[in-house]
Amino acid sequence: MSILRQLQDKGLIFDGGMGSLLQAKGLRAGELPEVWNITRPEVLREIHAEYLAAGCDVVTANTFGANPFKYASPSFDGGPAGKEEDRYTLQEVVGAALSHARFAVSQAGHGYVALDLGPTGRLLQPMGDLAFEDCVDAYARVVREGAGAGADLILIETMSDLYELKAALLAAKENCDLPVMATVAFDASGKLLTGGTVRSVVALLEGLRADALGLNCGLGPADMLPIAKELIAYASVPVIIQPNAGLPRVENGRTVYDLPPSDFAREMKDVIAAGARGIGGCCGTTPAHIAAMCEVLCQMPQQPGLTDVSDTAAGGGTGILQGNRHKTHTLVTGFADATEISEDPVIIGERINPTGKKRFQQALKERDMSFILQEGLAQQEAGAHILDVNVGIPGVDEASLLAGVVQELQSVTELPLQLDTSDPAALAAAMRIYNGKPLINSVNGKQASMDAVFPLVQKYGGVVVCLTLDERGIPETAEGRVRIARHIVEEAAKYGIEKKDLLIDTLCMTISSGEKGAIVTLEALRRIREELGVKTVLGVSNISFGLPAREIVNGVFFAMALEDGLNAAIMNPSSAEMKKAYHAFRALKGYDAHCADYIEKYQSPPRKADEGNQAQPGKADSSDTAAGGATGLFTAIRKGVKDKAVEEAAHALATRDALTVIHEEMMPALDEVGRAFEKGTLFLPQLIMSAEAAKAAFDVIRNAMGEGDGGSKKKGKIVLATVKGDIHDIGKNIVKVLLENYNYDVIDLGKDVSPEQVLEAVQKEKAPLVGLSALMTTTVPAMEETIRLLHEKAPGVKVMVGGAVMTAEYAAQIGADHYAKDAMGAVACAQECT
Amino acid sequence: MDITGVNRNEIYRYLGAKGGVSPDETMRAFTEDVLRELSGKVRPGHVSLVVPLTVTPEDRIDMTCMQIRSKSLFRNLRGCDEALLFAATLGDGADFLIRRYEKTDMARAAVCQAASAAMIEAYCDEINDAWKKEYKEKGCFLRPRFSCGYGDFPLTCQKRFLEVLQADKRLGIRLTEGLLMVPTKSVTAVIGIGSLQQHEKDTGR
Repeated sequence: MSILRQLQDKGLIFDGGMGSLLQAKGLRAGELPEVWNITRPEVLREIHAEYLAAGCDVVTANTFGANPFKYASPSFDGGPAGKEEDRYTLQEVVGAALSHARFAVSQAGHGYVALDLGPTGRLLQPMGDLAFEDCVDAYARVVREGAGAGADLILIETMSDLYELKAALLAAKENCDLPVMATVAFDASGKLLTGGTVRSVVALLEGLRADALGLNCGLGPADMLPIAKELIAYASVPVIIQPNAGLPRVENGRTVYDLPPSDFAREMKDVIAAGARGIGGCCGTTPAHIAAMCEVLCQMPQQPGLTDVSDTAAGGGTGILQGNRHKTHTLVTGFADATEISEDPVIIGERINPTGKKRFQQALKERDMSFILQEGLAQQEAGAHILDVNVGIPGVDEASLLAGVVQELQSVTELPLQLDTSDPAALAAAMRIYNGKPLINSVNGKQASMDAVFPLVQKYGGVVVCLTLDERGIPETAEGRVRIARHIVEEAAKYGIEKKDLLIDTLCMTISSGEKGAIVTLEALRRIREELGVKTVLGVSNISFGLPAREIVNGVFFAMALEDGLNAAIMNPSSAEMKKAYHAFRALKGYDAHCADYIEKYQSPPRKADEGNQAQPGKADSSDTAAGGATGLFTAIRKGVKDKAVEEAAHALATRDALTVIHEEMMPALDEVGRAFEKGTLFLPQLIMSAEAAKAAFDVIRNAMGEGDGGSKKKGKIVLATVKGDIHDIGKNIVKVLLENYNYDVIDLGKDVSPEQVLEAVQKEKAPLVGLSALMTTTVPAMEETIRLLHEKAPGVKVMVGGAVMTAEYAAQIGADHYAKDAMGAVACAQECT
Repeated sequence: MDITGVNRNEIYRYLGAKGGVSPDETMRAFTEDVLRELSGKVRPGHVSLVVPLTVTPEDRIDMTCMQIRSKSLFRNLRGCDEALLFAATLGDGADFLIRRYEKTDMARAAVCQAASAAMIEAYCDEINDAWKKEYKEKGCFLRPRFSCGYGDFPLTCQKRFLEVLQADKRLGIRLTEGLLMVPTKSVTAVIGIGSLQQHEKDTGR
């Protein structure tokens, strides 16, 4: 019987703790446990043998921490060196671990061996500094070693970051044919350390086709039970539960877990009854715990096997561990939580799209991420649940651009994204890098489209928008669109893509060119819901194309579609009429408890939407408008009121020329603000806001004067970077804002930048000044190296340095030309050097 | 997290206040608002471990699970016979907010940065104060927190430190290649524990 068959039909018993047993046998705290695979082989063989004797079906090889970041790999890292743990290669520790487990299994005459993959110990970008593909590559090396050394399955466990989980699963799937199971460590609140939830874990893992999923570590069986129940309620694949022996306690400098075997077994009874299909233990559990658990299991009544009510069959059989039923939740996720697309409709913001938007196209060409991110966050603020991301413009490398924008967006928003592209290469790149399970926009009934998109969904997971058009175009009848939808559903099933992962778009055709447009769309929508049982989506506002006062039609049509069962709308979340329809619909249908959302949005007078903005200086404060005329702009900049500065700049230009306005109002205001900051009477946020107000005013003046006119021209180029090894860059970013607002042309290379990258930018941009930032003493050598390289290869270039660790003496010592003690200091230095 | 114990003056100082200058009302309200927003996003947590301590001449410090050579740590731990190893973090919520506001509202990002730095300090102080009380009842005193990177206590110890405390698994604190902690609003420290009686003897008080 194959291991998956056994998991589905009978259930599987996994082993218990390893690290805690090794510690009991003398492993010191902080010592790498995998070293014992080589130095204490008898201990490993004995532990595996005891677990098998206790009744385990699966023993876990001692490879939890075996990864290329901890163990050298001669071909990559130049060979073993130095510390004890560095003496052994990855190949050696993994090979030895598998051989001990295999030996124990062959002696016992039963059992499977799992290759254990734990967290890498590094944090992925954007939180940390590990690139996603480097993480995939690290796991891939372990998987290849383990599969080659005789593993029967891959067990990914104790994961606390969805992104790392995805990297490990992809590596496993891409580098072996073994079954892959993955369990995660939740805290008592039911969250991963990076914010993931039960629903997002299920969505991600099932999307990536894990063969089983579950929970381990973190909690004892009783505390894990409610989370296990929720997991079983969402998961369609078998669920594995491996708790600790209670909560940790520190005793004599040691972490101990002291739930005795009998209590552990008793608590596991509830976990088994809840529907876990694989059971075992984690920290603190011993062969005695597993034996006690097996005894309890034997006394429990037989449970029906994994009975499946859906169309994708998976076994029958009977066993003591019962199966969980197939689920139909449509889930997409961001990096943390999932969004469910259900009867309670969701809004997909459509604004990240360059079509017909010149400014947006320019931002994409210049890779001005800030502009794009603000468009995304504004939609989130306006109530979007999911953000559509379309970056398709001619003449760009869409694959790298889409992947880049997706990563940037996911660093600032927790919302799920809808990847919107017709380029399969761009879709593949973005789906791979995506942190979570995305929405895909779109596939259609053309064979070529399905052939391109479905394999990607099969591999990476996702929910797909399906357009009801095919090689013959868009059918004019509802019947024709339902026929295409049916065909798409059938074709998707060939890839194992279920109905819950499809959203059918019955296509809005404007009523201005055919009065039956809306009727046909809605009839098709209803029939698809009823006849096919698939959820739906529409790009709602297309319905009114070519008509005046489109908002009116859009709002009413949206309400009609919602009543016909529309699950998701691709729309502008700021559209007032459509939002009215949306909120009223949810209140009327009972989705809005106590009409709370509706009341909050529409009560009169409206409640302050965001107290934060109210409290923030420079945003709400318009009381200080009295001055006007000669001092209006001066005051607006000094107070940091951006909108007012724009208004006053235009006003001032009506009576005076640009240079006078700049020299008599703007510069004095900035100087006064700078002096107040120096004295410490004005704070950093106020300095930033004044600078931003000045920038907005400069933009007005520049527009009025036209390019090439004196006074408003950019002053000079400055390259900024946080040096190699340093990931703290808020200081550098504040300097950037100030320099830009003093009208310098800033080339920002970001953080963790190598000396060579800085040199390359300086040579390419011919910048006379470089600003380097370092926060930690450990990264100062990298700063010194960068300065040395610049002075050697780009003579004449001046380097200013700053950052928490810097002093004037230190700066001089490492060869810097200037030291800037704060953001204003950097401005002063720029004025001197450019 | 309860924000009442967060030192406001510390935040203002991070934001450039000098010589006891107080912020105006809008600045004060702005700071409070950011603190409120942060308090909904952070998930503070800590782990600790008490280890036996042997301090020998030549500045060698043996904590069984870690051996360190550091003059400044040696000075800090003199007269102690145990050490409390400690790690705390606000979680990734603060970093996320700072990252978001850096793209949309730099002034708010700067306040977020300053306020969350003060928050992690306040959180550490709160835990330390409780320990101080607890140890005083046992007749012991606690030395001030001492972190990797202070004086000549090498930052390279951070790796071992986090491993010993299982700070990755239990708090989600990990290191970058350059040995910086992420989430960035995290603290590790050694706290010396000594007997009050012995201390009085040694100092003649």
